[in-house]
Amino acid sequence: MIIELGHFSLVLALAVAVVLSVIPLYGSRRRDTALMDLAPAGSVLLFLLVAASFAVLTYAHVVSDFSVLNVWQNSHSLVPLIYRLSGVWGNHEGSMLLWLLILVFFSALVAIFGRNLPDTLKVNVLVVQAWITTAFALFILLTSNPFARLSPAPGEGKDLNPVLQDLGLAIHPPLLYLGYVGFSVCFSFAVAALLEGRIDAAWARWVRPWTLAAWTCLTAGIAMGSYWAYYELGWGGWWFWDPVENASFMPWLAGTALLHSALVMEKREALKIWTLLLAILTFSLSLLGTFLVRSGVLTSVHAFATDPSRGVFILAILMIFIGGSLSLFAFRAPSLNAGGLFAPISREGALVLNNLILTVCTATVLIGTLYPLLLETLTGEKISVGAPFFNLTFGLLMIPLLVAVPFGPLLAWKRGDLLGALQRLYVAAGLSLVVALALYYRENGGPVLAILGMAMGLFLVFGAFVDLGGRAGAGKVSASVAWRRLKGLPRSAFGTALAHMGLGITVLGVVAVTTFQSEHVVEMKPGMTTEAGGYVLTFDGMREAKGPNFTEERGHFTVSRGGAAVADVWSSKRVYVAQRMPTTEAGILTFGLSQLYVSLGDHMDDGGIVVRVWWKPYILCIWGGALFMMAGGIVSLSDRRLRVGAPSRRSRPATPAMEPAE
Amino acid sequence: MTRKQKRLAIIGGGMGFIVAAVLLVMFAFGQAVAYFYVPGDLGKANVQPGTRIRLGGLVETGSLKRGEGSTVTFTVTDTIATVPVRYTGILPDLFREGQGVVAEGTFAAGNTVFVADTVLAKHDETYMPKDVADRLKAQGVELSGKETIK
Amino acid sequence: MLFWILVAVLTAVSAVVLLHPLLRGGTVLSAQRAGEAAVYRDQLQEVERDRASGLISADEAEYARAEIGRRLLAVSARGEDAAKPEGRPWRRRIAEVLVVALVPAIGLSLYLKIGSPDMPDQPLAARLAEPGNDMAILIAKVEAHLAGNPNDGKGWDLLAPIYFRTMRLDDAEAAYRNAIRLLGPSPERLSGLAETLLTDADGIVTEDARLAFEKAVALDGNNPRAKFYLALAMEQAGDRARAKVAFEELAAASPAGAPWLPLVNEHIARNGGTPVAAAEAPKAPGNPSAEDVAAAEAMSGGDRQQMIEGMVESLDARLKDDPNNFEGWTRLIRSYVVLDRREQAEEALRRGLAAFPASGKEGQQLVALGRELGLSGEGAQE
Repeated sequence: MIIELGHFSLVLALAVAVVLSVIPLYGSRRRDTALMDLAPAGSVLLFLLVAASFAVLTYAHVVSDFSVLNVWQNSHSLVPLIYRLSGVWGNHEGSMLLWLLILVFFSALVAIFGRNLPDTLKVNVLVVQAWITTAFALFILLTSNPFARLSPAPGEGKDLNPVLQDLGLAIHPPLLYLGYVGFSVCFSFAVAALLEGRIDAAWARWVRPWTLAAWTCLTAGIAMGSYWAYYELGWGGWWFWDPVENASFMPWLAGTALLHSALVMEKREALKIWTLLLAILTFSLSLLGTFLVRSGVLTSVHAFATDPSRGVFILAILMIFIGGSLSLFAFRAPSLNAGGLFAPISREGALVLNNLILTVCTATVLIGTLYPLLLETLTGEKISVGAPFFNLTFGLLMIPLLVAVPFGPLLAWKRGDLLGALQRLYVAAGLSLVVALALYYRENGGPVLAILGMAMGLFLVFGAFVDLGGRAGAGKVSASVAWRRLKGLPRSAFGTALAHMGLGITVLGVVAVTTFQSEHVVEMKPGMTTEAGGYVLTFDGMREAKGPNFTEERGHFTVSRGGAAVADVWSSKRVYVAQRMPTTEAGILTFGLSQLYVSLGDHMDDGGIVVRVWWKPYILCIWGGALFMMAGGIVSLSDRRLRVGAPSRRSRPATPAMEPAE
Repeated sequence: MTRKQKRLAIIGGGMGFIVAAVLLVMFAFGQAVAYFYVPGDLGKANVQPGTRIRLGGLVETGSLKRGEGSTVTFTVTDTIATVPVRYTGILPDLFREGQGVVAEGTFAAGNTVFVADTVLAKHDETYMPKDVADRLKAQGVELSGKETIK
Repeated sequence: MLFWILVAVLTAVSAVVLLHPLLRGGTVLSAQRAGEAAVYRDQLQEVERDRASGLISADEAEYARAEIGRRLLAVSARGEDAAKPEGRPWRRRIAEVLVVALVPAIGLSLYLKIGSPDMPDQPLAARLAEPGNDMAILIAKVEAHLAGNPNDGKGWDLLAPIYFRTMRLDDAEAAYRNAIRLLGPSPERLSGLAETLLTDADGIVTEDARLAFEKAVALDGNNPRAKFYLALAMEQAGDRARAKVAFEELAAASPAGAPWLPLVNEHIARNGGTPVAAAEAPKAPGNPSAEDVAAAEAMSGGDRQQMIEGMVESLDARLKDDPNNFEGWTRLIRSYVVLDRREQAEEALRRGLAAFPASGKEGQQLVALGRELGLSGEGAQE
């Protein structure tokens, strides 16, 4: 009964979403507040209904109710509780329900926290959210119902894919979806503004917290996914340019562009039309990502053709929302008035450059992801567009942006002084080069380009310090005054600096790992040793072990340096009982920012085993940088100014020490 | 600079960057893209040594041989033709004789041995078993039910 | 009943939440521009701060202030769009009707179409505590027990025929082999294993299967089933003369009216002999078949039969959900024939052909299977 109530609750949510899609919209046209008030109340109700339904599905997974098809297909009585929970979204139906839950969660947030918004704008935003909710609730109920039942109920489940039985994966999809779906709010704001036919600088500030929140979550989700792939798949790779990864990376790139262009719009009321378009495109890319991952087209165009119901449904949603919003945009955009003027060398100019490069890079990733599908549909020819393509195109195109980032925050609005910025940055540039050279010698050489790459990353980090220092007036005023001014800086200034610093750290990690990593594949028998990154690994032997739902063979290694043992590590090959599926659990040892990565291969006939050892220098920088970026997002999000206009605003007297934004 | 010149500078710079990006993408499509073949296609395809391709098919039963250290050789077949493959490294967890596999790499000079640098087997995150299945089906190869190609 | 009450409550609460703003009659439209003006005023303060701290020059500050000031002016100039919030009672009545009608109508009609209101929850713990007739759980319990105690031969012995009847052939083979290893060979286990092997080979008596049958006969000379398959092996090997003799011996040794006799006679005829037994044992109307059926049943037992049916049904349900499983269809069709539920077998054949059209290779195999089992499906005649 509980399960059927969850099912009914989801159906009821659809009904409520239909009502919310129509009545408040009519109300806002007629300025009838009674009809408009339906939107916030209904949005909260919608969230409660979907949350109840999601809770019921979770309950079904936890108690292993195999009369629910979804549970039977994706669970097993031996699966530990934590993976029964993550198994809820570790499958198509459950993950779509999570998608919907997050969508209505954001609607409810807008309904509750959007008090400072003009009433009609808020209502229209909620109406657009209700349209999306209706479409996805229908999709779930008609093609991917997680509450489908089985009678008689089987006695045992088919098990959750062992690769997915991992903590990293347990939190990865919710974060990713928070990002993906968070951009729906930006989309709804854009469509609502177009519906009203009016948009101004204040709009940008209202959208800003939503963009920031979505961007922060997406950053976290992508970084988590990358780290998960790194340690779980056992190949030591951290980014594969896999279409599924690209699907999440494209909204991130576009969202980053949106974050920056909204800044120009807020300050100077310029780039209004472009910002609206970006908001639409960012969410469209999220939808496209959902389509790519969920329709099966990625495995093959034929897979899509053989079981088209889901794919065609999402494709229809995609076309209605993207096509509809872009038509509305084309129809309304010309009537929006243009904004302020600025010189090419200015903060605006730098942000335009940022947008140009980011959108071109997004387009490149999009083309690389879709081209194989297109080619296969048209000619039947199968090609694989992989890392070489993306490294060549995306990698090269990003370089000018990375070099330009430290300059941006130093330029003034409207008309900037490039020479002045250069003067302030040359110390940072020199310092980065020196540190890069030092790292280069420490790692005993490598390609010379690595120096430039690392210097670029370091330049971003030092540049962020220069920016903060400049704002505090370091060098111009006494140290104590500068410290006070630094403390008084708006949070968003720290956010910017942190995010740019994080980008630099990630770049540093990427360059260092790609150029300095070493890999050894050796056959080892107990007692043998191998060497990686200055550490000596001694293979001690294998042992059998048993987990709750798997058996494994574990190899033990002692790691020593200069003759003294410093650590030991287990690396194992698991076989999951239910699906008889083997997985590799790599042994990972962390030394500072670097890691030693050991994974096991096949047994040899003579009793040895193939061992693959990587030395991954500075690899933690890759994800550490992402942490900094997230921290930047969170700090910016807490900025007082984002709350301006709220009725409960506490007005603080502006102290002279307070500093400018951005 | 006049206002018009400024605008021209911005637009010109932007266009220049976009043109550069388009050229780069086209260049990369010529260079860095791997075509997918099954052994039976290779006769007519005329793949040059050194060109990166993806080779898909079934691992011929009994063909897996371990050489020095971690170098292995095996034969990929679509039952019409076979191609010997050499690979150094750890084979994926799900690599089995008689099952589908995709190897990425190049032909050594002489077009006889395919030197793979990546080997993907079923269930691996980036593996596309359908590729193999589609092609093999197109070649008229029946897969036995135990392969459960998704 | 409780379920429907809760459904009604849920629907009513939703409708009330939506009706509340309508009945309340709406709040005053808040000052549309207030928020916007606040943003601009904050920007003005910011410019002031920047100027005070010397980050921008007085000129720049002046310009920025003018720009923001223009926005602020524009906001107040547009004012409140003149239009006072209007509320028309009739509009609200229509909205109320829409809410009251639409929410239950969409909710209930869609739910009744796709939901399963009568199905109770079946949490695993509760099912394990009280298995009752839940065959799937009984099997799962035995399986779980065996996972922990893989050397319990009795468990394997129990599971093996069930696996076989539900066409989980690989499992059945493993279970039979385990049972034989742990409990020693018995005619039943050996012929069960052999039958599993030959079913897996689509009716061909393989070498493994033949050896197992021979062992079974060696243990128990009076094993018509094993003898039949041994004769069949000869027939399949092309040794028709010996096959004929073996079939004839089997027919002679069989009691009158044994259920396998017609089949044996058919084979005798096929191998060029005269179906003696059939003539000698005319079927007495009404009487013997009941006993024979009972005899045949003794091998399985009523419970087991029920268990098997449960398993077949779950296979059926699974195929309903995922029809793209050729092997599943052949197994389902065979299972129904084994259970002697021909109508369902024919139905399964039809459904299988819907998933794999007769024009395709798999479809043809299904048609052939139907013909072999003497089923009349729509597609089978094609």
